[in-house]
Amino acid sequence: MSVSDRVGEPKLNQPRAEGDNRQILLEVDNLQTHFRTMDGVNRAVDGVSFHVRSGETLAVVGESGCGKSVTAMSILRLIPEPPGKMAGAIRFQGRDLLKLSDKEMRSIRGNEISMIFQEPMTSLNPVLTIGRQIGETLRLHQGMSKQQAEDRAVEMLRLVGIPEPGRRVREYPHQLSGGMRQRVMIAIALACNPKLLIADEPTTALDVTIQAQILDLMRDLKNTVGAAIVLITHDLGVVAEVAERVVVMYAGRKVEEAPVNELFRNPKHPYTQGLLGSVPKLGSSLTGETTRLVEIPGLVPSLKQKIPGCVFATRCPSVTDLCRAVAPALQEKAPNHIAACHYAPVEASVSGTVAA
Amino acid sequence: MWAYIIRRILATIPVMAIVALFVFSLLYLSPGDPAAVIAGDQATPDDVERIRASLGLDRPYLVRFGAWTWDILRGDLGTSIFTNLPVSTMIQQRIEPTLSLMIVTLILAVTIAIPMGVVAAWKQGTTIDRCVMAFAVLGFSVPVFVVGYVLAYVFALELDWLPVQGYTPISNGFFPWMENLILPAVALGGVYIALIARITRASMLEVLSQDYVRTARAKGAAQPSILFVHALKNAAVPIVTIIGIGFAGLIGGAVVTESVFAIPGLGRLTVDAILRRDYPVIQGVILLFSFAYVLVNLLVDLSYTLFDPRIRY
Ligand SMILES: Nc1ncnc2c1ncn2[C@@H]1O[C@H](COP(=O)(O)OP(=O)(O)O)[C@@H](O)[C@H]1O
Ligand SMILES: [Mg+2]
Repeated sequence: MSVSDRVGEPKLNQPRAEGDNRQILLEVDNLQTHFRTMDGVNRAVDGVSFHVRSGETLAVVGESGCGKSVTAMSILRLIPEPPGKMAGAIRFQGRDLLKLSDKEMRSIRGNEISMIFQEPMTSLNPVLTIGRQIGETLRLHQGMSKQQAEDRAVEMLRLVGIPEPGRRVREYPHQLSGGMRQRVMIAIALACNPKLLIADEPTTALDVTIQAQILDLMRDLKNTVGAAIVLITHDLGVVAEVAERVVVMYAGRKVEEAPVNELFRNPKHPYTQGLLGSVPKLGSSLTGETTRLVEIPGLVPSLKQKIPGCVFATRCPSVTDLCRAVAPALQEKAPNHIAACHYAPVEASVSGTVAA
Repeated sequence: MWAYIIRRILATIPVMAIVALFVFSLLYLSPGDPAAVIAGDQATPDDVERIRASLGLDRPYLVRFGAWTWDILRGDLGTSIFTNLPVSTMIQQRIEPTLSLMIVTLILAVTIAIPMGVVAAWKQGTTIDRCVMAFAVLGFSVPVFVVGYVLAYVFALELDWLPVQGYTPISNGFFPWMENLILPAVALGGVYIALIARITRASMLEVLSQDYVRTARAKGAAQPSILFVHALKNAAVPIVTIIGIGFAGLIGGAVVTESVFAIPGLGRLTVDAILRRDYPVIQGVILLFSFAYVLVNLLVDLSYTLFDPRIRY
């Protein structure tokens, strides 16, 4: 089977991650998620590839509207079809999720891959108790009885740091604060010990002090639970603290990918350089001071037209005619570091090897 | 919780008082002198005067209203002018068929309409959805008596599956009882089903686009659980509200349905009483129906707290 051949060896449009021999858990391969709308096809995600290894934390960053959430939802196949349409492959432990039946997909959701959403205030069902909502995945995927599920729900609430879990388990979401609700979402996501946790801007909707608490919690739990994490975020401070590797997205594409330290030290793509305009201090989000992505002048191009050249050409400070005419391919610019820019210099250490 | 229930019950008292005043005044709002009507064509003015006195029509208005209300509170709804029987006795004799018809219609309508609306919302924009909506429009636009006659013709006369008309008390067995009720209930339920199905669909559509439904999907919940566990309970408040409001239409429809299917219920009693201007009977029946309507809507109000924990007592 060709799938198993590929395990442990990412494809050419991804860096070769030397020295990391953890198993590849998830491999997103040329994912295209398009939406049919009244005025044309919205190419929300247009040929994105990346991989996540077991236990690894990968950050996905980019401005609002660049397709981060759509990428995340595509992995769990939560994109409504129609109007959405997905193509490419999403291999999870070697199996292409896009080819699974609905039933097989359901047995993965909330069990092996779970997701935390951006909106804690609206992501919990207002008419079901907290206990029931945590217990649901346990009953569904682990066949627990009502009582077992409730006991485990209490345990999970304790784990995510909710005081008086025995009482809270019988309460409803409206009785909890935003931060508490996001803790409950985390409890739901982790209840079945997933191998992969996708967190889509889990702290964006919370106020600053709560953000720091939730991040601390996620970091603690990461060590206890050992799940791989895809962390989608606006917050470069968070990226610097938590992530091992970073994927930078722009207008539905991946424009750069590198290990976190390398990316912060040596951003290759002008878009990333723009985002990093103010480089975050390590530990800044712990002190309650967040580092949001910097505003870059100009607008994200409409995803409804094919862009002939570089997607960033309209906003790039050093754009040339070549950029407007020819789309740059993702190319290895430094060890484990790829970027899609004609003018990003290729470092000597990799210039001898074949680039994609 | 109990305090809330008691408060809601107390709140119905002024409503019922206004209804009672209105029902009492009915006699004086409608055309014709009841005493003259009862006395008949050949009566002398003396006869009319005597009847008027026996009805108490010669006493002042508010005195009569007070006496009438006091009687009702003691369970005395007066005496029929036509049969000379106590109104409460006449109602007792006729209540079972009507109650049976309403309950069967209610159960039938709710069990058909809610799944219909849920499925239509789930399959929004597909042929299934369009069929449900077409049925809903049809249910609104075809009158009960037309549906009734068509059903009776097809299933009773042509196919001979069910009795054409009449009523069998439930004491004669469940199936004979049901046999007589099924066609009237379907005829009566049409509008009600259409109404509930439409509201269910609209309410579900709103709920299905909520973030927590996406969460349920992300947890691996199957479609039936998403629809009926996660979504329907959130969509319930508008649905039970319309069930309560639609109950008024059910009362009006029951009168017509009972005539079509010759069911000896309160509807027939009402029609006969109106034709004979038997005011005590008319008043008694209207009062009873109003009371039932207020009661149903009280239950609807109380049920909100079962569906939505955010509603405060
Ligand atoms: N259900 C949908 N139908 C049509 N377009 C959608 C849908 N969901 C997302 N999109 C589009 O996909 C693009 C990317 O959105 P998203 O992934 O949410 O961005 P972000 O990076 O901020 O998470 C946006 O242009 C958005 O309008
Ligand atoms: Mg998003």
